[in-house]
Amino acid sequence: MDDRNPLSQTAFSDFHLAVNAASAPRAAYLHIPFCRRRCFYCDFPVSVVGDRRNGSNSNAIVKYVDRLCQEIAATPTFNIPLQTIFFGGGTPSLLSVAQLDRLLQTLNHRFGIAAGAEISMEIDPGTFDLAQIQGYRTAGVNRVSLGVQSFADDLLKACGRSHSVADIYEAIDLLHRAEIPNISLDLISGLPHLTLDCWQATLDTAIALQPHHLSVYDLTLETGTAFDRYYQAGEHPLPTDETTAAMYRLAQQTLTTAGYQHYEISNYAQPGYPCRHNLTYWENRPYYGFGMGATSYTHGYRVTRPRKTWEYYEWLEEYIAAGGKQPGSPPPPNEVLLETLMLGLRLAEGLDRDRLVRDWGTATVDRIDRCLQPYAQQGWVEIATPHPDSPRRSVRLSDPEGFLFSNTILAALFEDLAVNL
Amino acid sequence: MTDAPVSRIRNFSIIAHIDHGKSTLADRLLQYTGTVEARQMKEQFLDNMDLERERGITIKLQAARMNYKARDGKDYVLNLIDTPGHVDFSYEVSRSLAACEGALLVVDASQGVEAQTLANVYLALEHNLEIIPVLNKIDLPGAEPDRVKQEIEDLIGLDCSGAIEASAKEGIGIPEILESIVHLIPPPRDTVTEPLRALIFDSYYDAYRGAIAYFRVMDGTVKKGDRVRLMASGKEYELDEVGVLSPTQKQVGDLHAGEVGYLSAAIKAVADARVGDTITLASTPAAEPLPGYTEAKPMVFCGLFPTDADRFEDLREALEKLKLNDSALNYEPETSSAMGFGFRCGFLGLLHMEIVQERLEREYDLDLITTAPSVVYRVTTIKGEVLNIDNPSHLPAPNEREKIEEPYIQMEMITPETYVGTLMELCQSRRGEFKDMKYLTPTRTTLIYELPLAEVVTDFFNQMKSRSRGYASMEYHPIGYRENALVLLDILVNNEPVDALATIVHRDKAYPVGRALVSKLKELIPRHQFKVPIQAAIGSRVIASEQIPAIRKDVLAKCYGGDISRKKKLLQKQAKGKKRMKAIGTVDVPQEAFMAMLQLDQGAS
Repeated sequence: MDDRNPLSQTAFSDFHLAVNAASAPRAAYLHIPFCRRRCFYCDFPVSVVGDRRNGSNSNAIVKYVDRLCQEIAATPTFNIPLQTIFFGGGTPSLLSVAQLDRLLQTLNHRFGIAAGAEISMEIDPGTFDLAQIQGYRTAGVNRVSLGVQSFADDLLKACGRSHSVADIYEAIDLLHRAEIPNISLDLISGLPHLTLDCWQATLDTAIALQPHHLSVYDLTLETGTAFDRYYQAGEHPLPTDETTAAMYRLAQQTLTTAGYQHYEISNYAQPGYPCRHNLTYWENRPYYGFGMGATSYTHGYRVTRPRKTWEYYEWLEEYIAAGGKQPGSPPPPNEVLLETLMLGLRLAEGLDRDRLVRDWGTATVDRIDRCLQPYAQQGWVEIATPHPDSPRRSVRLSDPEGFLFSNTILAALFEDLAVNL
Repeated sequence: MTDAPVSRIRNFSIIAHIDHGKSTLADRLLQYTGTVEARQMKEQFLDNMDLERERGITIKLQAARMNYKARDGKDYVLNLIDTPGHVDFSYEVSRSLAACEGALLVVDASQGVEAQTLANVYLALEHNLEIIPVLNKIDLPGAEPDRVKQEIEDLIGLDCSGAIEASAKEGIGIPEILESIVHLIPPPRDTVTEPLRALIFDSYYDAYRGAIAYFRVMDGTVKKGDRVRLMASGKEYELDEVGVLSPTQKQVGDLHAGEVGYLSAAIKAVADARVGDTITLASTPAAEPLPGYTEAKPMVFCGLFPTDADRFEDLREALEKLKLNDSALNYEPETSSAMGFGFRCGFLGLLHMEIVQERLEREYDLDLITTAPSVVYRVTTIKGEVLNIDNPSHLPAPNEREKIEEPYIQMEMITPETYVGTLMELCQSRRGEFKDMKYLTPTRTTLIYELPLAEVVTDFFNQMKSRSRGYASMEYHPIGYRENALVLLDILVNNEPVDALATIVHRDKAYPVGRALVSKLKELIPRHQFKVPIQAAIGSRVIASEQIPAIRKDVLAKCYGGDISRKKKLLQKQAKGKKRMKAIGTVDVPQEAFMAMLQLDQGAS
């Protein structure tokens, strides 16, 4: 597989290629649920394997990789090679190189992997060594998303992370030595006891490491997590809403000043380095999904696999027995429109208005315009007119204020468009 | 079947407190007499409406005719006339009792006599009914029949030596009850030859046949084809159908004095065949109607507004339809500056109000905003005019008022002694005037207070129940109007007065109520993109204020492939919540906020 830089084109280059949701998926997500422990904020489907160093030898992982390969092999193919592959978790770096390689081979065999495909992998500091990362690299991984979250040991501890700040620096050193061409760091704002000053330091530290990409998430208290039990949103020791909103603005200001493009609500990239895989989601294009808890979006509808290991295995047996057919049917058109708006407005580029008109008709787009009008006046929505630099007319949220209130704006659209078009 | 001689008819009702097992007992009687076969039996056979089954209460009364061969070998006709068990419907209870010669007094053997039971027993005694005490739930381990018998004797003065120990659930004592009905309850008077007088004790609306009236023939005979006159409404109808309730409707040729049945005559609405009205023949009318007819008088008022202004006409139609079946429901159009177009509706009481709201939402699929309940204030202006004000926002300005009077009730509560203190506290905090307290038994007391009705309609019942852990019961009746130092408490949201939130309170309570109300509203109204001040004011004087801080962010941090469906649902929920709110100026106010008055902390209200 080719290693040249990911596409420098942004969202809309693919957009016109992108046909409707029922067309061929060019992206595949693989869920690797294993973690050494569960972080206090996490509500992902994970399977805790503890701190054993040779986690990849554990029977559970071996068995899971087998099943994942079975699922891939059983999935109907459109015979269009994959443009992006994403190993998410969990902690995919708990896979051995051989296991990762086998998964990629299985994907390649089933769907084909395009030359220049983006192959991303989430890894956690302290879970891999040089040989391992070099092995992943050789197997084809060309983008790594490192779960940093914070540069303060006390905060890492408070989150239940299994790594230290020293582990982060070591991990980045290993990534550089393995010549990973595209590195992303994950950060979390709004953590307990986090102050604005401390957040500024976190951002500065991150910039100094010169990652190609940064994901910056405002902490969400997900139901059922440890944090959800310990804390109350906006109340001590969590920062107030006012402070977390300020952290969001601070990240936007600091990172864009440092040359990063704020291309999605929580994502920043150096020019040419947005995550192509994740753009699939936000442009509401189809994707394969494999593994426990994973969602696929093929044939026009989403299917979410069970979040418990044994339930996923049972599901998989039925799936294989049914020849890779999944029960379900495409949602009504207005639901598709709502998803298109909800996802597209997460992007700085926003939605292509002309395309909206083409897909949904003038009347619907007029209705959307009317609904957005008050927010446009407020400066939260921008309706860009075509000019030489940007020949398309787009509808987008302003950065950072429109982004910060995106739910308010979307809820208004949802309220207006909930009834059938 | 209708040829039952008057001497073999027994008409009775069952008096019981909620949960003391009236419906179950009725079911058993229907089963035992073979009126309803076991396979047709569903629990609470007489309670037809879904709402009734869900709440386990009887709202609309019903009747059932049973044939019973007694141990003396003779065949009897037993008419059970069911009564609603809630204080809101005491007029209906009195009418159904008037149609009977006897009553079963059903008391839970582990609980004892409750206030409402007592009130209904007094009603029955006023109508000279023979009362048969039945101690129900005798099978329960906590049953104390002797204590409860003693209580009945002490309280009501009924001889309990012949009281029947029963368990409707287990079928214990059912034959004894039936025998007692036959031998203790007197037959109706034989007045078959007198001019027709029949008492309507219930009516309901049938979409195909119009209003159907349930009645008891007191004198004379009525048959299909008769032209009848309703003596109170003055309207005349030709009878399409006359029949009995066994318990489903079965047509018969005629019904004579002592019998109970139904009629249909293309009557447009139940208001034309109201409970308590007397049916007589148009050709040979009776000289006097039966005593006791009164117009239904709404005691509690509230505004009903559709959340979606476009549905005003739907609401009007729904109310019209409900009114066909509910003569006590009153409504007239109301315009509120905050809420737009809606209706001011009058109800018998809080339960009646809740039932109507629930039926509007459930059966007519309306999203409604209800304002806090109000009573009718009587305002004398300086010009000497007397105005009845059922909407606080219509109160004349202070400089135009001579005085304000408010309706009072006498409240009787029966409670285990332990809760006397807390219930007295409740009554004091509701401006109650202590009247009397008596020990019914060494551990049970009755408390009598006079209270402003306005203080009772705001959540008194729930408070009484929670303070007494469900053990206390209450009963009240109106005792007229009294002048009080009342003021209009305005609520301002974002500096705009909201008429639908205005309330009339006693001057001494204005501060605590105002404070509690604004802090409750602060909880209920969601945050906006700007600060929202909430104030309580008397005239131009602000007496309490709070501020809802501005929202700082409203964003989903993460949204990837696996999150999309869930995040979409969240947004849909947010959108739906928004839809159910009423925009007051630029502030979205949720439905519950308009009922905030009912949720105030006890200390304050």
